[in-house]
Amino acid sequence: MKEVITLAHGSGGRKTSELIGEIFRKNLGNEYFTADDAAVLPRPEGRIAMSTDGFIVSPWKYPGGNIGRLAVCGTVNDLACMGAKPLYLTCSYIIEEGLPIEDLELIAKTMGETAREAGVNIVAGDTKVAGKGQVDKIFITTAGVGVIGEGINTSGKFAKPGDKIIVTGDVGRHGTAILLARDEYGIEADVTSDCAPLWEPVRRALEVCPEMHVIRDATRGGVGTVLYEIADEAGVGIRVDRTSVPVAPEVSGVTGLLGLEPLYLACEGRMVMICPAEKAQAVVDVLKGTKYTEGATIIGEVTEDETGRVVMTTEVGGQTYLPKPGNELLPRIC
Amino acid sequence: MTSINSTADMRNFLETYDGPSVRIMEVCGTHTHEIFRQGIRRFLSPKINLISGPGCPVCVTPAAYIDEAVYLALEKGCTLTTFGDLVRVPGNVKSLQQARAEGGKVKIVYSPIDAEKYAKDHPEEQVVFLSVGFETTTPSDVIAVKNAVRDGLDNFSLLTANKTMPGAYEAMASSTDAYLYPGHVHAIIGTKLCRDLAERGVSGTIAGFTGDELLAALAVTVKNVSEGKPFFVNAYPRVVTDEGSPAAVALVDKFMKSCDAEWRGIGVIPDSGVELRDEYAAYDARKKYSVPKMEFERKTACKCGIVLQGKILPSECPLFGKACNPDHPVGACMVSDEGACSAFYMYGGQS
Repeated sequence: MKEVITLAHGSGGRKTSELIGEIFRKNLGNEYFTADDAAVLPRPEGRIAMSTDGFIVSPWKYPGGNIGRLAVCGTVNDLACMGAKPLYLTCSYIIEEGLPIEDLELIAKTMGETAREAGVNIVAGDTKVAGKGQVDKIFITTAGVGVIGEGINTSGKFAKPGDKIIVTGDVGRHGTAILLARDEYGIEADVTSDCAPLWEPVRRALEVCPEMHVIRDATRGGVGTVLYEIADEAGVGIRVDRTSVPVAPEVSGVTGLLGLEPLYLACEGRMVMICPAEKAQAVVDVLKGTKYTEGATIIGEVTEDETGRVVMTTEVGGQTYLPKPGNELLPRIC
Repeated sequence: MTSINSTADMRNFLETYDGPSVRIMEVCGTHTHEIFRQGIRRFLSPKINLISGPGCPVCVTPAAYIDEAVYLALEKGCTLTTFGDLVRVPGNVKSLQQARAEGGKVKIVYSPIDAEKYAKDHPEEQVVFLSVGFETTTPSDVIAVKNAVRDGLDNFSLLTANKTMPGAYEAMASSTDAYLYPGHVHAIIGTKLCRDLAERGVSGTIAGFTGDELLAALAVTVKNVSEGKPFFVNAYPRVVTDEGSPAAVALVDKFMKSCDAEWRGIGVIPDSGVELRDEYAAYDARKKYSVPKMEFERKTACKCGIVLQGKILPSECPLFGKACNPDHPVGACMVSDEGACSAFYMYGGQS
């Protein structure tokens, strides 16, 4: 019989220590990782960014990743959006009684690998076990601290008319992969999640363009929602050329069948960057040469007119508003 | 594939057209949605008027049909299986969403074939599939019944409101100069009907669904209308053949027979629907559960009826964008993405 998580694993006693030692320390361990009540860390120079994010994706494992990779990338990418090099993460697990230990081990292993890839240390954690049915298998919350490079100031409100809008790769992959993994539609297609840690591409983009105005990761709600948020926050209009928005053929096949807009499907490894027009090509060029952002491209620009709106230039040269995000977005996508 | 240059040419023709005024009615919800999504209306010459006709199955389903479904869920304890859009359509008394909140079982499926499977797996439930749609979806409704016969199910039936286009084309001919015929309907029923209609003075073009295909079909239609003679053009030959799909037609014919049908906002059109033949009455929810005639009437200022006939634009309805919006639809045209009001709202920057 498979070994499973029981309420005893969350009791704080011997079973909890075993779990920490055999699963978490083994997979996540680094010089700062602590079993004490708090991690003790060297103070970074400069301004720090701090962020937290909870992950409840269903199913927890899907083509291209699992909730562990998502939990690391989600917080790392949130920090990167502020131009912050991610330094430390904490993670809190809420596990449903009965989860096979090998599943937890796979999740922890993935988190360790992803954290090393992202150059971040997981320094503290917490484990709680909830009764059957009180949680769906496993929920993870991560919090992170990063240090912001000198002179870097990014925010949705800094978008300015004339700026170019870049996406760092094809859109809608994660949402489509999850949707297919749920197997509710009877559609089979080879779509993998784009989930990836993006500090390295952001770092390089900021090297060529330290005056970057906006970086935002297009998670829940996808690129479309991000564009409407920025239009609103900065009081500008946004014009997007639909034909230049990269969508993988297998993604557009699925979204076409189901009547979904790829711009509103979640990504977990894509950033929207907005920078002065004269730097846009240099940013795209450096992104194209960096892992996970090879598909970077300019999709549009910020305008003075059409405040608060996203205008699309269509395949036949027509113009239309991108419909605002509806209420049909998929639940539990991340 | 058409080259970029000819897209520009077609667009230029449609933008600068200055002949006699042309009214074109699209009778396919997917066309309506795609025309908006491509921003085509915005660059058309003012001499070209597009009318979003009755081509979205959810939009033409009468409120009394929703009342029947609510009756089956709440009075008869049936499990309703349906496409998602229908759940939000207001009936005269309530929507299926409200019926569900009151304890009715309403399950969303993506195909009638899944509904039949559900019935097979849940013999303790009486499962009814809400069978709405046109020639394109009726064959799969019929396959579900065929499967139920095969599986010997006595807990699966259809509440039919299946529509057929030919009767509607003639009934609405005075509202338009030409139809943009729905490509997928004619992929099933073929083109003979369109040729016959042209002989009786009703014109139209079968259109595909990409931006280029729509531009080509619109350009051909405008050109022919301006020349003044009745016409028919198949501008979607890569999918639509003259004979259509005889297998699908024969399959439907085996299980279904023609009937008069009520179209929301338009009224009863003779021979514009299909229902199950008498030998399959056991799979006809209306007969199986002796559903009484629904006589409720709801007073509303909703103008969906005349929107569907192309007499007013959605934005001319007093409720549009105010009391009626996609979050709180008053009329069916605001429910489905393919509805004229919904498309107008979403792509018109109303929100």
